[in-house]
Amino acid sequence: MHQDLTGGPAPVAAAPSGAAAAAGAGAQSGASTHSGAGAQSGASGLSGAAGAAVRNEAARAITVAGLCKSYGGVRAVRDVSFSVGQGEIVALLGPNGAGKTTTLEILEGFRARDGGQVRVLGLDPGDKSAARELRERTGLVLQDIAVEPYLTVRETIARQAGYYRAPRDVAAVISLAGLAGLERRRVRSLSGGQKRRLDLALGLIGDPELLYLDEPTTGFDPAARRGAWDLVRQLRTAGTTILLTTHDMAEAQALADRVVLLSDGTVVAEGPPAGLGGRGAEHARITFTLPAGVALADLPVPGTRREGSVVIETAQPTVDLHRLTSWAVQHDVALSGLTVDRPSLEDVYLRLTRDATPPIAPDRSPR
Amino acid sequence: MTAVLAGRAPRRRNNLALVIHQVKYEQLSFWRNPQSAIFTFVFPVVFVAIMGALFGRLGKSSYFGGLTALQYYVPTIAALCVLGSCYGQLAVGLAARRQNGILKRVRATPLPAWGYFTGLLAHCILDSLADIVLIVGVGRLYGVPFPSQWPAIALTLVLGAASFCALGVAVASLIANAEAAPAVTQLVLFPLLFLSGTYMPISSPLIDRVTGWLPIRPFNEALTGPLSRHAGADWRHLAVLAAWGAIGAIVAVRRFRWDPRPE
Repeated sequence: MHQDLTGGPAPVAAAPSGAAAAAGAGAQSGASTHSGAGAQSGASGLSGAAGAAVRNEAARAITVAGLCKSYGGVRAVRDVSFSVGQGEIVALLGPNGAGKTTTLEILEGFRARDGGQVRVLGLDPGDKSAARELRERTGLVLQDIAVEPYLTVRETIARQAGYYRAPRDVAAVISLAGLAGLERRRVRSLSGGQKRRLDLALGLIGDPELLYLDEPTTGFDPAARRGAWDLVRQLRTAGTTILLTTHDMAEAQALADRVVLLSDGTVVAEGPPAGLGGRGAEHARITFTLPAGVALADLPVPGTRREGSVVIETAQPTVDLHRLTSWAVQHDVALSGLTVDRPSLEDVYLRLTRDATPPIAPDRSPR
Repeated sequence: MTAVLAGRAPRRRNNLALVIHQVKYEQLSFWRNPQSAIFTFVFPVVFVAIMGALFGRLGKSSYFGGLTALQYYVPTIAALCVLGSCYGQLAVGLAARRQNGILKRVRATPLPAWGYFTGLLAHCILDSLADIVLIVGVGRLYGVPFPSQWPAIALTLVLGAASFCALGVAVASLIANAEAAPAVTQLVLFPLLFLSGTYMPISSPLIDRVTGWLPIRPFNEALTGPLSRHAGADWRHLAVLAAWGAIGAIVAVRRFRWDPRPE
């Protein structure tokens, strides 16, 4: 099962060729269709600053400016601004109740906003007349597994394919999502992870320019998770823009070009995962434990004791590590558990979201 | 917008094909669910067979309004089946689909709302049609002659199915959680079925007058004419039924929600 995702390369760009034999409708869909829509809008007939602004706008799949949303007296989202470029993968991070799902649902057109500007693929998701066009061009993988239990995997995907103007080929999507061999299985007999992959297939079948993934790998085993990551990377190669939410810092680190960190309804940090919250500029940490009888003062570089270990924070790890290990070899001192690292994305995440108030009713409250 | 679309050759199915696509998968889903298939089709056959065994030998009587027992029960059980296929199926089924997030998932696709509901309506009419054919067939075994007024039957069936579908969607719109849906549906339905003469003739003019303005009795009457009396379309009762359908449709349009978590 998992081999289909992890081992077997099923590149998205191959969908047209794979489709050719099976169905004419899907045969011409695939990667190439993505470029058309944005590139043609606004380019003609405009010049100078206005033209540049429009072209700039066209290069962004999503722009959010000053977004606000309250539920009763609770301000779930206040003044959130960020953007997602075409072909970019952006991860929306934050604790439960930070406003991730509310933001996502406003972008998806499920909820009305109280204030602010939102553009998705050049359209306003709050505008009901744009809804069908927007749904035609976006794909969704929701948190909840929601599929009819008595249809087979193939039927479920074929049914959804029938709703789109130019869907991907059903068979190609089945293998892309790692569902090969399960086509004739009833949905109700699938495992949780298999249902999640069916969800993913349903998000992809319309050949979307923009894909929303709401905690896409929750409940996956490590191999399936790696497989899903490979799939996301293939989609990026094919030009699909992806906005994802996750609680998994490794996932954000592995997939996202940029991270938007929400806390308590506002953006507290934004940037590439490697540099989030000034992480790239922070000091490296050298950590080890000293044998009994060796004092902190004996070390050639100043350090502090933390939870039984010695921690040296340094701006020049190469030099300090050399001094330290030379000294240790000279004096025959073993530095057990020696590691050099930087604050992880999780460290930064926890530091930046520490002060956020916990959600009042985690179960039903809008996240 | 048209300029943007020019890059992608529009290949969308026409409206009829879209509805047929919907009906196909609704039917697949329906027939594979043993519960719905049995309730919709085994129940009416068993009921008519029991009534046939009990009363099959009796002739026409004034108790049954000048009809034989089976001539009385064939249309009322047919009406009951249409109710189950339309009102019952939609009130309970849509509430469950909303709670499961299936409706939200549908809403995230380009399938327009009218396409979804037209598909459901056509699916329910098909189920109702199968029910009526089955019941008339079993009734024939117990000596109820085949009806002759097929256009009137078709009209009554389609109007009744549409009205009860609208009422079903309306009830699904008003029920907040899916666990309550079967109970609420039955609570309203069961006493009304009794009072409307579905299970036995009512000999109270007062009850008849009241239930005559509620949806079930007019439907029973409108089916009894063409099915058992070789009469044409019963316009007065059909009008009452259509009025209820319109009320259901108004509530449904105003209150229907796709999202399990309302704002």
